[in-house]
Amino acid sequence: MAIGLKVMKRPGTQVSYLRATLKGMALTFSHLWRPKVTMQYPEEKSSKDWTLSPRWRGTHRMLTDEQGRAKCVACGLCPQICPANCIKLVPGEDEHGNRYPLIYEIDEFRCVFCGYCQEVCPEEAIHVGVHYENAEYSRDRFVYDLERLCAQTHPVSTLWDPSDPKGE
Amino acid sequence: MSKRTIAVELATPGLDPQGRPARIPLEAGVGALERYGEPDAGEHMLINIGPQHPATHGVLRLVVELDGETVVRVIPHVGYLHSGFEKLGEYRHYNQIIPLTDRTDYLSPMANNVGFALAAEQLMGIEITPRCTVLRVIACEMSRIISHMVWLGTTSIDLGAFTPFLWAFQERERIYNLQEMWTGARLTTSVTRVGGMMADVTDDFVAGLRQFVDTYPKTLHEIDRVLTRNAVWVGRTQGVGVMTAQEAVNYSLSGPMLRASGVPYDMRRDKPYLAYDSYEFDVPVGEHGDVYDRYLVRLEECHQSNRILRQALERLPDGPLNIGDPRLILPPKSRAMSDMEAMIYHFKQVMEGVKAPVGEAYVGIENPKGELGTYLVSDGTAKPVRWRIRPPSFINLAALPKMAEGHLLSDLIAINASVDIVMGEVDR
Ligand code: SF4
Ligand code: SF4
Repeated sequence: MAIGLKVMKRPGTQVSYLRATLKGMALTFSHLWRPKVTMQYPEEKSSKDWTLSPRWRGTHRMLTDEQGRAKCVACGLCPQICPANCIKLVPGEDEHGNRYPLIYEIDEFRCVFCGYCQEVCPEEAIHVGVHYENAEYSRDRFVYDLERLCAQTHPVSTLWDPSDPKGE
Repeated sequence: MSKRTIAVELATPGLDPQGRPARIPLEAGVGALERYGEPDAGEHMLINIGPQHPATHGVLRLVVELDGETVVRVIPHVGYLHSGFEKLGEYRHYNQIIPLTDRTDYLSPMANNVGFALAAEQLMGIEITPRCTVLRVIACEMSRIISHMVWLGTTSIDLGAFTPFLWAFQERERIYNLQEMWTGARLTTSVTRVGGMMADVTDDFVAGLRQFVDTYPKTLHEIDRVLTRNAVWVGRTQGVGVMTAQEAVNYSLSGPMLRASGVPYDMRRDKPYLAYDSYEFDVPVGEHGDVYDRYLVRLEECHQSNRILRQALERLPDGPLNIGDPRLILPPKSRAMSDMEAMIYHFKQVMEGVKAPVGEAYVGIENPKGELGTYLVSDGTAKPVRWRIRPPSFINLAALPKMAEGHLLSDLIAINASVDIVMGEVDR
């Protein structure tokens, strides 16, 4: 049978307190010469073992077109899919009949950073971003309006993006 | 009070570690009050441990009745972290529920995602692709390793050994980095979708996991060296919190708790899902059912998970990740943006969700903490009428009063740690 059973026998002998302590100390000291795994965070933001993944799902960013307008066409998919109900969208229409968002707000406190909004957006407008330092002085600054979302400059997650074909 | 004894034939677990068929009698449950009567406030002392106590591993409150330093009884109070996940799920599409499952057992988020997706797929009658199956096995086993590492670290801290904690958390950190590479989040992974996965793994991920699989056993051996034969560790754990095989079955324990008591029952072996029966691994079982055996079993499970990960990496097939049916799963983004038909499916699916046929589904998977069951009832709409989780650590926790009875207060900490509870799942 491929899946076996293994009865866990107890070791017959046990080592004394003193020997256990000395052995443990010896092993612990040998770790002193291993490569270090910690990072001095605010000074160092990445190390050779770790950099923030390009797929990171962080605070949002709205991409803009060449004229600097949000790419969003107010299709209403992202408020619909959002499991936390944190996107507020009021659609408007301009004189050519193009839809655009009158109000587009994301409450970053309610958001669960699932990335579904990016997954469903047919215009590649809203994105979750590769960014994690979000401290602010007041709570109301965490409701990101359209202007703020467009003004973000951090890179966006490569999930569900043609640049990462495996992430689609 | 007379105890009713019902002899039952258990499906596959009816084997003892020697491989002989065993019948395990079931007993009717006895409540705490019937068993001990009212608390004896005059002689005994009542103390509260928790809900804000590091040794209770979360917001668990234990009301302990002490006679001197001996525990007369323990009553666990739960519910401080109740979030109503199951109710919230009734107002969400199947795919929208997946972020909620991350947050139940938050020490093994990927395995919960898989459990839910399997149940939803059973409900809808979806067959997943071979690549997806293997990736889900990888997700489950990675979860098992991190969950056991957290268990090992926190338990060793509770019992006064600080160093293994650091080593265990280093390894956990490496898996978290891999999860981040794959899903873009370290903890709230939401990695599955009904009928597939959120994203495929990158080549970096596969290389990283290979490297992890090769170097991880070294840490396990080091932990083994400092703990397994250490007199302090042995003294604190052997003979503490014993559950016999019969009691373990009667308390409906599952996972390492059950196996440490000598009942060789593992969902991966006995009700295989995700083609687990085609992998080669051993199910560790203990002989004594005490805290020490639970430690041995969990440590060995880490080795076995590592073995499964290695085999899964070897067999990882190419081919499509998601099922091809655009009515059930979102088509790839680039197609949805260029092809009108795919676009229509995309809109329809997001706005209306995927409708499941009327019916119900139950899928149990072997989570790190025991059998995680997901039960879904559908009335034919895109949202479940009822979503119920069978939380393994909640049910394992119910055995705590039985195990702690008659032990010292300091042993209560060891016993509580050995249950491996996670309050997100206990309270849901
Ligand atoms: S990331 Fe998820 S929770 Fe946050 S706004 Fe997008 S869909 Fe909503
Ligand atoms: S899905 Fe995209 S285009 Fe549609 S409303 Fe949201 S951001 Fe705008």
